[in-house]
Amino acid sequence: MRMYLFAAVMCLVTGAAQAASTEADFKTALAAAVAAEQDAGALKNQWIPTEQALAAAKKAAAAGDFDTAIAQAKQAEALAKASIAQAKEQQTAWKAGVIR
Amino acid sequence: MRGGAARGTALFVAAVLAVVLLAGAPASAQALPGQALAFDRSKGNCLTCHDIKGGDAPGNVGPALADMKTRFPDRKELTAIVFDETKRNPRTVMPPFGRNLILTDGEIEAIVDFLYTR
Amino acid sequence: MKIVRAITSVAVTIVIAAFVVAGARPAAAADSIDPDADFKAFRDYFTKRFPNVPLNDFVNGPYSMDAELRKQWEAIDDFPPYDFAIDRGKQMFATPFKNGKSYGDCFADKGIGIRQNYPYFDLQSGEVITLELVLNRCRETNGEEPYSYVKDEMASLTAYMAFTSRGKPFDIKIPNDPRALKAYQKGEEYFYTRRGQLNFSCASCHVQNPGNHIRTEVLAPALGIVAAMPIYRSEWNGMGTMSRRLVTCNSQVRGVPLKPQDELYRDVEYYLSYMSNGLPVSGPGARP
Repeated sequence: MRMYLFAAVMCLVTGAAQAASTEADFKTALAAAVAAEQDAGALKNQWIPTEQALAAAKKAAAAGDFDTAIAQAKQAEALAKASIAQAKEQQTAWKAGVIR
Repeated sequence: MRGGAARGTALFVAAVLAVVLLAGAPASAQALPGQALAFDRSKGNCLTCHDIKGGDAPGNVGPALADMKTRFPDRKELTAIVFDETKRNPRTVMPPFGRNLILTDGEIEAIVDFLYTR
Repeated sequence: MKIVRAITSVAVTIVIAAFVVAGARPAAAADSIDPDADFKAFRDYFTKRFPNVPLNDFVNGPYSMDAELRKQWEAIDDFPPYDFAIDRGKQMFATPFKNGKSYGDCFADKGIGIRQNYPYFDLQSGEVITLELVLNRCRETNGEEPYSYVKDEMASLTAYMAFTSRGKPFDIKIPNDPRALKAYQKGEEYFYTRRGQLNFSCASCHVQNPGNHIRTEVLAPALGIVAAMPIYRSEWNGMGTMSRRLVTCNSQVRGVPLKPQDELYRDVEYYLSYMSNGLPVSGPGARP
């Protein structure tokens, strides 16, 4: 009986610990995404899907669904980074299309 | 009813269902998932620029997508075009569906599957 | 020696003076900004690509590209859908502000028949000034709330002002000032830069694919593309200002739009308007 109690308490503790670290993971993922999107904003090249993913991440987190929230935040970061890569490449590449 | 009769009925119903399902419903009722993705404006949105059999009111910015098996015997080449055509043609106006995360790898595979039926 | 030097320096002074007086810019060195060369190349590109389109017809956008679409457009010309906007704009223009001043006080010629001069580069403030910007600054200077750049009031005012300039050739000036040339170049850069998740530049559609269809829409050529603004757009069931058009072009390629009248939007309007020099104001216009 004591073993069962011990096992049950361990499950609760590790379960609670996992839930806490997932929210922390979300905050880290969100911070990275927001920072990347700010960089894209400085380049005046933010994408609409990035903003949508950020909003979805925050919404999922508010509902306690941190798995979804983290996935959306990582997607937002990937989109923001792609938009930054586009802006940087275009700083020189734009000239190729100019009518001469 | 009794066990034997119940089992017989169940078998009969199963057989009828099997015949109906396997008889081959018309193609339109079993469109490939790739076709839905290709025609969806929020996904491939291919009809905006390409004429594709099965689609309405296509644009003509890009070439018609027909004879795909003949034109693209190498699946990798067609996949690369959908993923990022700027690699092959820097002046293209085709969106880089893979590089810019417009479509997932799975969605691109499904669309390529569908294109090979055109 | 002294005489030669004196003559040389006088000659140089005369040459420089001639450039300044004529408003011309010295010939371009490599990598420097040459709007005149750009202008010629831009015009030649479209007239060569569409040899059967009369030069002045480019201001009619998709209708200059597609005969079928043109027929539909001509059919509605007896009752143009932007008439209500002109009437409203005329009334708004004639109504004084609370302080007794009116829009005409913020423009040359009381604001009548001057649309073809916008945008211009303000040497004092060092920025591109558009028609929409002046209208709102006029309001604010006279104690009124500014209008939204993307809604009907601004569209009505600019529709009326465009109407009073109908047929007048665009006359956009780029003063020989590095800031003006920079603004022009930033506008050109904006026009040709790919943006948005869909990776389109303005040029993707309006330089590379004029006359082609995206779904059932016919793409307009970049030459003369600002001449018909503001437009009544059937798809929008209403009027669209220059600002609204730029914002929606951004969002259509899945780019987060800039704020209306952002410096870059004004720069690209400056660039496109300069490219339309000599073409007639055709606004307000109607589009599908």
